Amino acid sequence: MIVAEGLAEFGAGRERMIQLLTKVNTELGWVPPEAMMDIAEALGVSAAEVYSVVSFYSFLSAEARGRNIVRICNTISCTMKGQEEVIDAIRAELGIEVGETTPDGRVTLETTACIGLCDQAPAMLVNQTPHTSLTPEKAREIIAGLK
Amino acid sequence: MKKKVLLAENQPEFGAGLQKALTMKPADVVFMVRDSEIRGLGGAGFPTGIKWNLAGAASADKKYVICNADEGEPGTFKDRVLLTDQAERLLEGMAIGGYAIGSDTGIIYLRAEYPYLVEGILKARQSLMDRGLLGKNIQGTGFNFDVEIRPGAGAYVCGEETALIESMEGKRGEPRNKPPYPVNAGYLNKPTIVNNVETFCAVPHIVLNGPDWYAQLGEGGASGTKLFSISGDVERPGVYELPMGAPLSALLELAGAPDVQAVQVGGASGKTVCAEQVDKPLSFGDLPPGGSVVVFNSSRDMLEVLENFMEFFVHESCGQCTPCREGNMRLLHAVSAMRQGDVCCMDCLQPFMDLCDVLGVSSKCGLGQTSGNCFRDIVTTFVNLPQECNCEGGDA
Repeated sequence: MIVAEGLAEFGAGRERMIQLLTKVNTELGWVPPEAMMDIAEALGVSAAEVYSVVSFYSFLSAEARGRNIVRICNTISCTMKGQEEVIDAIRAELGIEVGETTPDGRVTLETTACIGLCDQAPAMLVNQTPHTSLTPEKAREIIAGLK
Repeated sequence: MKKKVLLAENQPEFGAGLQKALTMKPADVVFMVRDSEIRGLGGAGFPTGIKWNLAGAASADKKYVICNADEGEPGTFKDRVLLTDQAERLLEGMAIGGYAIGSDTGIIYLRAEYPYLVEGILKARQSLMDRGLLGKNIQGTGFNFDVEIRPGAGAYVCGEETALIESMEGKRGEPRNKPPYPVNAGYLNKPTIVNNVETFCAVPHIVLNGPDWYAQLGEGGASGTKLFSISGDVERPGVYELPMGAPLSALLELAGAPDVQAVQVGGASGKTVCAEQVDKPLSFGDLPPGGSVVVFNSSRDMLEVLENFMEFFVHESCGQCTPCREGNMRLLHAVSAMRQGDVCCMDCLQPFMDLCDVLGVSSKCGLGQTSGNCFRDIVTTFVNLPQECNCEGGDA
């Protein structure tokens, strides 16, 4: 369904694969095998090739994830400004480790390379939204507010 | 007062540079850019005019103008600011590029970390459309040009122009062998120019004010101005514009850096300098002016900093070249070993210093070629290992 919408929007050129994958990944939080096979068929490539693209990029996932993806920057300007305390606060709030998803499927917690918000460190992306100048309290509030 | 261009308070109207360019011959626009001596402001420093000239001279039924908006160098955020505040200027610069090389299609490759900028860019596009500065038959000249956005998906290596093109073609972002260069065979094998956000933003100013004006803005023989993103142990982190070739100390003064142990210039792949070296100029061939500057005060453990950089490279290596894929992992292990005292002397360290050289000469793209820089700089300047010891030696 999502793949069909994407094909209608972007066309079925081989060069549209990342747009299609990004659309699926944004809406579902990951790219299920069925979607990979649909994309492979539509673009005339093997499913393995689609998988190889998904596995290459940090923001695409071949595994099911939570409804909300929290990505905390782990590059130097953020780690210098208290990123570790922020991660600890979020881990405590959610009861999971980095790389895990809460059992109710509400949140997946990840770290990510520099997200270009170094002047307002520490920073994180929650789905498509940036949050900056984080403190443990501020981070905990943001996480608690996720549906 | 240093002269600002991109961040000047009084900005020419969006579109004015394009309107002027459209009164000129395309080749004359290329010559103007060439004579301004502007070089790729993403950090690679390739002369923009030469790139445009080659793409303009290539004959093909289709050509592409691509904006590299994939700034991923740790500590860089200047393009985020331009994409937020000056998306119209960027689109104008891309349209001028299209007119100059004979292309009707622009594509912005926007990094996955900036999805919240899409709306503003599309709004800027619409505003130029409404004024007849993008779209069909621009200003009645018969010139067509439109721009679309393509998302990245989170890969540092895609800032490298051929990896970026691979990614835009829907593939893994693995750098290509060169030649052929993108100016002859780029996106979909068509002649393509790939330029950074800042480079495109500077072009309308060059067209409006002339190449000589732009060239004389720099210091010490360098041309134009440059944006720097500064963060870390400074009082006023942010984006500052300086003449290209200005000393690093001028930037530190603007941002407020009373306690400097080390400055990482040009991102993880750049150079690490100590407090005694801040009088060096920020320019191509000296301190790399890519845009990232991170300051470390005297309380920072530089081995911890280095470990962070090496973790970054291990994560971001595309894996195509063995020296980069395996070498960065080895260098990361070496940093951990140094922190634990297992690499205890310069003798033990030597194999890893040699490995940095191997990475530099045997990796295909800039990622692997430069990932050993911070290792070499930091262990040489900030880590005091004894020259000799009695242990068994390093294991590279």
